[in-house]
Amino acid sequence: MTVQECYEAIGGDYNDIMSRLKTEERVKKFAGMFLKEKCYQTLVQTIEEGNQEEAFRAAHTLKGVCQNMSFTTLFHSSFAITESLRGSNMDEAKTLLEQVTKDYERTIDGVTKLLEQ
Amino acid sequence: MPKDTILIADDAELNREMIKFIFEEQYQIIEAEDGEQAIHYIRENKHSLCLIFLDLMMPNKSGLDVLKYMNLYDYIDYIPVIMITGEATDETEEKAYEFGASDVIYKPFAPNVVMRRAKNLMELFEHRIDVEKELVKRTNELIESREQLARSNEFLINALSTVVEFRSLESGEHIQRVKYFTKLFLKYIRKFYPKYGITKKKAELITNASALHDLGKIAISDSILLKPGKLTEEEFEEMKKHTLYGCEILEKFRQEDNEFYQYCYDICRYHHERYDGKGYPEGLAGDEIPIWAQIVSIVDVYDALVSERVYKAPYAVEVAARMIHDGECGIFSPEMLDCFELARAELFAVTENGLSFADAEGIH
Repeated sequence: MTVQECYEAIGGDYNDIMSRLKTEERVKKFAGMFLKEKCYQTLVQTIEEGNQEEAFRAAHTLKGVCQNMSFTTLFHSSFAITESLRGSNMDEAKTLLEQVTKDYERTIDGVTKLLEQ
Repeated sequence: MPKDTILIADDAELNREMIKFIFEEQYQIIEAEDGEQAIHYIRENKHSLCLIFLDLMMPNKSGLDVLKYMNLYDYIDYIPVIMITGEATDETEEKAYEFGASDVIYKPFAPNVVMRRAKNLMELFEHRIDVEKELVKRTNELIESREQLARSNEFLINALSTVVEFRSLESGEHIQRVKYFTKLFLKYIRKFYPKYGITKKKAELITNASALHDLGKIAISDSILLKPGKLTEEEFEEMKKHTLYGCEILEKFRQEDNEFYQYCYDICRYHHERYDGKGYPEGLAGDEIPIWAQIVSIVDVYDALVSERVYKAPYAVEVAARMIHDGECGIFSPEMLDCFELARAELFAVTENGLSFADAEGIH
């Protein structure tokens, strides 16, 4: 799987990431770091615990990382959940988490395949 | 210490790494995962930090907390801070600028843009710090040369006054004592008579000017100046003119609007006036006599009384003090007599122990 194929599979913006990071090697390196980020797990856990403040911060971090990686699809769902958590709307956040989870798993799946080769 | 260290504070490692790879070849990089770590590293590396990338939203302490800390210790003045944020319309961004952040960059990072803005900012700060250092250096040089000038001035005035005094075959110490006593009186005038508006600067000028009080004696002929016996009435009239001769000399170097010139002039001319109007040369009375001339007048009289002269033995300090209070050798204002009492112990100490003793103690 090429980097471009990976970005197509996960709904990312290949041109955008290449315009900023220049080399595919570098994109792969950062994608590898994305696998180690724990903000998604923190988001799930803090929403379960009902900790709005920490959930907001985790969502915010996830959103920022996706922005930097040009993971457009996951960025959109993490942006939405960040905004509902900013407004302390926990019920809405719980609903939005489903979409985030779906997009996150899709992203992890694609990135893992990219790095497997 | 070289300024070669960049601090990157962001809770996501990926975000830190994305900035780090831009700079790691040229700079030392320190990473902080939260605001508390950032504050710790700023404190530890305040002398080597040349730039800080600061995420606003971080656990423990936020980016704003870090900025507040940097303001508290003035680090914000010499370490540029670039805020990192995801939202272009965040109200916290405005706060960040308010707290002294120099720039804001938005996610996603474009490395070449980040690099260029960071370099510009570092250059700007480096230049500003250099300019400030240069300013401090120049200011110090200016202060030093002013002090040197003041010392040279004082030296020349002392030299000139002493020339006059040497002609009278006196030791030269009278001038130094008059200066010291004048300084003492000014200390008490400033403390207890603020109505005269004597500032520290004015007091210094008056003290220096007091050295020239007998400048006009240079123009008095030896036959009168050095006469061991009592002067005839005619000779005394000539002697009295030293107050005017002094002013004539000064007028040759007249300085318009120069405070120091005015003090010198007034002291030369009026240091033999009396509070009751019976002095010379003008017969001024009361407050018509400038306060600086009144001071030099009373300390000159005191020192003359307690000093040995060719025509008289020195009076004991207590006797001299009584004579001054009783108006036996001039009439002085109540304020001058009050200052005399305030300075009494110090005046006596100089008379009895010499000036070097008094100098060591100084007047503050």
